[in-house]
Amino acid sequence: MMMLVSVVCSLVSGGEQLWAAPVKIAVGLMISALICLPSLYIFTCLSGSQARLVEVCGLLAGLLMLMTILLIGFAPVAWIFSQSTESLAWMGTLHLVFWFIATIFGLRFLEAGFSHSNARSHAGFHTWVVIFLLVAVQMTTALRPILGKADAFLPMEKQFFVNHWGDCLKATDSELKRPGRE
Amino acid sequence: MIATSETPKSVGAFLRAKLERFREWMLRRQGNLVVFCVVAIVIGAGSYGAAMGCWRDPLQALYTSIKLPLVILLTTLGNGLLNGMLAPLLGLNVTFRQSLAVVLMSFAVTAMVLGALSPVALFIVWNTPPLVAGTTIASLEYALLQLTLAVFVALAGVMGNLRLVPLLREWAGSTAVARNVLFAWLAGNLFLGSQICWVLRPFIWEANRPVEFIGQDCFQGSFFETIFKAVCRLVFS
Repeated sequence: MMMLVSVVCSLVSGGEQLWAAPVKIAVGLMISALICLPSLYIFTCLSGSQARLVEVCGLLAGLLMLMTILLIGFAPVAWIFSQSTESLAWMGTLHLVFWFIATIFGLRFLEAGFSHSNARSHAGFHTWVVIFLLVAVQMTTALRPILGKADAFLPMEKQFFVNHWGDCLKATDSELKRPGRE
Repeated sequence: MIATSETPKSVGAFLRAKLERFREWMLRRQGNLVVFCVVAIVIGAGSYGAAMGCWRDPLQALYTSIKLPLVILLTTLGNGLLNGMLAPLLGLNVTFRQSLAVVLMSFAVTAMVLGALSPVALFIVWNTPPLVAGTTIASLEYALLQLTLAVFVALAGVMGNLRLVPLLREWAGSTAVARNVLFAWLAGNLFLGSQICWVLRPFIWEANRPVEFIGQDCFQGSFFETIFKAVCRLVFS
């Protein structure tokens, strides 16, 4: 299902991105979840929750599923906007906003599951949410480009997401300031 | 009849253990509990240390995976006598063995959190621009890496110590006594732990030096002396 969402992202650039973007988004999301799974389990245990590792995996899978379903709902909206612009920075921002909204609902599901497992405190869970968001956002930079084109499947240069976003926004700004641009 | 004070069989059981179970583990002589905690520290802190060191070199990863658990264990042992004396002086009636076990358990929790965060640390290291000839101590990527890894260690330390709070409170019968004992232990562990880290550095990288287990000037100066000199420079410059 995530591949379906990713195809909409890939329509912005077309070409190789038609298969590269879906692969990157699906694999990136799963790897982000796997990276954050041990810390979720440990924080769950520390909170007093009785959920076993298998149940935590199930809750995490539920989070990803809910995110994906909501992103499918956003797909037509994203497609319409992608047909109206050539600005990668704008489309990137829009996709991030949709992703963030979908993630919030996914995390609400995860928190509800957490509460039902007799957790005494949610402080660990909230800490984990920050870690998960940072990892997922950094993963989008690690697997760039997802929108736009590049010579290689994966980037040669390593960058933190803040630097990458700054570079993209500067590139957009200099494009707007180019003489003769309407 | 099943013994209620059996040592934990898994990480989950240890972390989820209720107050009464912790207290039973404390009060009984349980060599298995100590072994469990030491193994948790070695594996948890070791995997985090490996993630820290791999930015520099695989050999640095190996060295740091040995040094980080060593810092924790040496701090626990080095402060064992002091912690055992401070607790009854501040109103908590525990023996040396019990205070050592409590501190070891809290470090075991810290190490488990570090172990759980090691995939995240490895991901951050993987995303950091690599060490090159032009990298210096002042380089942004090194600063960001250092800060992020230190924040994780601080987070794990806080979680480990927060686990102690209800136990000390229940044991002391007074929130004030529990708070004073916790702060005293924390201050002592921070003081000695910082110096042990200073001696065993580097953990990530040292400029202009090859990869080595301990730096050549390990016993020159100290962590707090460096801070003291920096403050003097700031105040009197």
